[in-house]
Amino acid sequence: MSLLEVEGLNAYYGDSHILFDISLRVEKHEAVAIVGRNGAGKSTTLKSLMGIVARRSGSVKLEGSELVAQKAHGIARLGMQLVHEDRRIFGSLSVEENIILAGLTAENKWPLERIYWMFPRLKQRRDSRGTDLSGGEQQMLAIARALVRDPKIILLDEPFEGLAPIIVRDLVHTCRELARNGQTIVLVEQNLAATLALAQRVYILNNGHIVHEGPAAEIKAQPGLLQRYLGV
Amino acid sequence: MNIKHPFIAEILTVIVLVAAPFVLPHLGFSLTTVDRILIWGLFGLGFDLLFGYIGLLSFGQSAFFGTGGMFAAYLLTEADFPYVLTSIVIGAGVSGLVGYLVGLIALRRTGIYFAMITVAIAEVFFFVEFNPLSAFTGGENGLPGVPTPSFNLGSTKLNFDTDLSMYAFLAFWYFVGLVVALRIVRSPVGAIFRALRDNPLRASALGHNIHGYKLTAFVVAAVYAGFAGGLLAVMQGFMPPDAFMFDTSGQLVMQTAIGGAGTLFGPLVGAIVWLYLSDFLQNALHLGATWKLVLGLVFVLLVCFLRRGIVGAIIDLYQLATGRRMTPEPIETTEPIAPPAATTKVQAPPRPAERTPTPILEATGLTKRYGGLLANSDIDFVVNHGEMRGIIGPNGAGKSTFFKMLTCETAPTSGRIIFEGKDITGMSVADVCQLGLTKSYQINQLFDRLTVRQNLRAAALSKIRGKFKLDLFRSLDSVPGLDDHVDQTLALVNLTERPNTPVSELAYGEKRRLEIGLALATEPSLLLLDEPLAGMSPGERVETVALLKSIAGGRTMIIIDHDMDSLFELVEKVTVLQEGRVLVEGTPEEIKINPKVQEAYLGGVHGEAA
Amino acid sequence: MVNWQAFISQCFNGLVLGALLALISSGLTIIYGTLGVLNLAHGAMFMLGGYAGWVAYAYSGSFILAVVAGSLFVMLVGVLMERLIIRHFYTRPNEDQLLVTFGLGIVFVEAVRFFFGSLSKTVTPPISGITSLGFMVYPTYRLALLGLVTVALLVLYFVLYRTRIGMIVRAGIEDSVMVESLGIDVYKIFMLVFGIGAVAAGFAGIVNAPVVSISPDVGESILVQAFVVVVIGGVGSFPGAVLGGLIAGEIISITSMFNPGYAYVMLFVAMTLVLVIRPYGLLGVAGRE
Repeated sequence: MSLLEVEGLNAYYGDSHILFDISLRVEKHEAVAIVGRNGAGKSTTLKSLMGIVARRSGSVKLEGSELVAQKAHGIARLGMQLVHEDRRIFGSLSVEENIILAGLTAENKWPLERIYWMFPRLKQRRDSRGTDLSGGEQQMLAIARALVRDPKIILLDEPFEGLAPIIVRDLVHTCRELARNGQTIVLVEQNLAATLALAQRVYILNNGHIVHEGPAAEIKAQPGLLQRYLGV
Repeated sequence: MNIKHPFIAEILTVIVLVAAPFVLPHLGFSLTTVDRILIWGLFGLGFDLLFGYIGLLSFGQSAFFGTGGMFAAYLLTEADFPYVLTSIVIGAGVSGLVGYLVGLIALRRTGIYFAMITVAIAEVFFFVEFNPLSAFTGGENGLPGVPTPSFNLGSTKLNFDTDLSMYAFLAFWYFVGLVVALRIVRSPVGAIFRALRDNPLRASALGHNIHGYKLTAFVVAAVYAGFAGGLLAVMQGFMPPDAFMFDTSGQLVMQTAIGGAGTLFGPLVGAIVWLYLSDFLQNALHLGATWKLVLGLVFVLLVCFLRRGIVGAIIDLYQLATGRRMTPEPIETTEPIAPPAATTKVQAPPRPAERTPTPILEATGLTKRYGGLLANSDIDFVVNHGEMRGIIGPNGAGKSTFFKMLTCETAPTSGRIIFEGKDITGMSVADVCQLGLTKSYQINQLFDRLTVRQNLRAAALSKIRGKFKLDLFRSLDSVPGLDDHVDQTLALVNLTERPNTPVSELAYGEKRRLEIGLALATEPSLLLLDEPLAGMSPGERVETVALLKSIAGGRTMIIIDHDMDSLFELVEKVTVLQEGRVLVEGTPEEIKINPKVQEAYLGGVHGEAA
Repeated sequence: MVNWQAFISQCFNGLVLGALLALISSGLTIIYGTLGVLNLAHGAMFMLGGYAGWVAYAYSGSFILAVVAGSLFVMLVGVLMERLIIRHFYTRPNEDQLLVTFGLGIVFVEAVRFFFGSLSKTVTPPISGITSLGFMVYPTYRLALLGLVTVALLVLYFVLYRTRIGMIVRAGIEDSVMVESLGIDVYKIFMLVFGIGAVAAGFAGIVNAPVVSISPDVGESILVQAFVVVVIGGVGSFPGAVLGGLIAGEIISITSMFNPGYAYVMLFVAMTLVLVIRPYGLLGVAGRE
């Protein structure tokens, strides 16, 4: 049994049909990426897994538990975490409050020190309000919030978007550490270089359909493949 | 409210009004109670236009009810003005003027804020009436001694001083009020009211001055309230101070909700229920002061379970029973829709014989900053007449923000936009639409409770009548060219089969077509399309591309989309945005092979991670 | 001629009234900020607090018990209201929410009228007499009232800014979807928020009862004043409610000195000014409609 098994997932915004019969799986300790053009439905896929897209059907199983009919807070408690594409930091709360809040209902929450050891920058800024953080710091905080809950699986939605290259490099490094330590990750990202540096397996999404699945190494070796699905 | 017979509402009302004084006393209604019902009904007609048709819940109508009544009563008592009807009319006029001034303040906000402000207004007026102005209003005693109306007709004198004649007087004015309200509802203004209620953003983007229309409704409601107040004074022979009390506003709101908002008859039915029950509970059941508790509970239950009130429930039952669909409008055109013109050469602005590459739109240095975020940076952008331009770019490129600046939905932080030689920077979105620049939205912005035809009408009316017109008494049917205009737009977007379908029953693809149709109906010379293919299945994409090709004639279009295969079939030139800036421009073929564009999308596959 | 003694006394009254309004309006603004519902029954909750306290006082003779009983009773009413009724209105249009809270407010008022009659009842202040403050003398209970309300505001502040629950509420005001994403059931939070908002009004109702006798209609003017405070201070902002409350309190008191009838008018003028100059309130955030 895979850690995450998705079967026939359909998702709608209102009556706009975005995802068509998506099926994928993620094994424990794996880092899987979903790539595709904008509007392909990558973000919607992650949001549907997390229960934030209201209208969805099909099957989403995390360690055998069916998630598709559950609300987001139940899904979070079962061990899934989503780092949203616009980060959604609580601006009026401090960095530390953001982290503490995230851990409140977690069974095995990480101690604050462990978070700060992983993200020393956040320790420096622990009392700053969310609105005062830079883009990179907000992204770190968003990831830290997800980690504090010791999730079985982390979904990262465009974590490197809009960040300076040097920050992206640091974040990629952090994510590789996480993966190396066994964290299961699903990554949606436009920055393909970063994606291929992190993921072992890649799904290609086009107009709401999965059109290809394969090891990252294959994609790297055949740039024409990506070109066909993603390029202009 | 019936499709087949245009004036059935008026006719039925006359019948009921004539029969009432003979029938109702047997049902336990005294004529005085019926008089009160009529006054509340008239008061509610104006309120229903404001609340039921536009959706503005005002708790402040007592202010206008009291003002109109007090003014009329003052004229007739303290000022010894001899003409009763004229006093009432003057009172209503003063009330309308006060409504205008109050509306200027209150309508600055909507929804919850608006409701709060109206509550405050009601209280302020009450206090002012009670204290500072008590010399004019009689303070807590009110103004007694208001005479009954009488008219000198030369040889005879008409006195309205008996119960029956007073009823006739009130019934007559209620009927007049009803006819006027029905006319307003059936007018172009009424159609815009309904659109405004569903989607004020889109109504404004389609070129309507929605603030003006809201203010109009507010003043109309105030006039009705003032007139009803005057009638109350005359009916009772006395103008009570509690007309100004917040309770009065509250009662009006409850009665309208019980009867059914948006039906015009709701307030009357609500008044019947309320007054009958209060009579019944107090006298028959001897509940004394508890009647209000019971009525309050009834009200809460109705709000929870009978969402459209009694009249609304009756309409729903009727529809269920007959299987017929009723449109919200009292009159619907019954003639068959004329088949669309032989060719679908729609009113597009006349195109010069050859394509002269003159710019239709020039943006220079467009920048948009949201706090710390720089969404668009120093964009220069030129589109020529007749061009089909595409805009693409990865997430976060600032495409939607760019469109918002072009349509003036948001003002640029810096930069200028010249459209057809005019500087439109900082104009309102409605003005820009009137000039010929409009957009269709990525997420459908339709008037959800209306039918396809009503949606397109709302857009067409802006083209035909301009930004704001107070043609309250004109019939929709008599607006020149309206139906043709709508029919032609229906044909353009292939919705000719579905004009009377409510939006909620349309398929997604049909809704998208209507979305484009709304923009087209304003006859833009420059049409922006924000992701017209969003959320579409492959089949729908093909259809939409064909549709866009068919409407392209004579129009300049700029299209944002992610589906590059479809987009490149449509456009001649492509602008690529990245991180808020223009990366490169060129033909589709050039863009496809441009390495910088590849890089932007593929993020340097060949380089190292970041 | 201005009587300075009276003027200072009125300023003090304004402070007391202002603190009271600040507390009541905080409850209203927190409910609106988190749930998006404008509680038109808020004035009725103020009234209910007064009556519940009066009943408890009559039975026990202890004012402290009265305050506790009054507050808890109103909290319970608030929680039940949210759980049984308001919850079903989150997806309904704003107007329906306004109508149902309005209706509930009427039901509460009329129910009290049914049980207790319309005549106002006095509540004897637990502390009587006057205190000399050097530059003036002032009724002792009113000083105590100021103290009590200030403590309540501090408690509210403490709960909001120094406890886990308060953190969740503040986060919920900002982004309730994200709070849910972090494993917290927002519906439970909503219930709690409604309870907190209600208790703020209820507490104010009972502690203020010795100053202004209680009657079923006492909540109506309070509701209007609370609205004006929220508009002035900014929707969803606790500091805004405090600031707006103090401003409103002083405006009402000082105007009353010259002409009681104009107090409301001046308040309204102030509200209009704020609407024109700073449409989102003095400390409000744009986008909260």
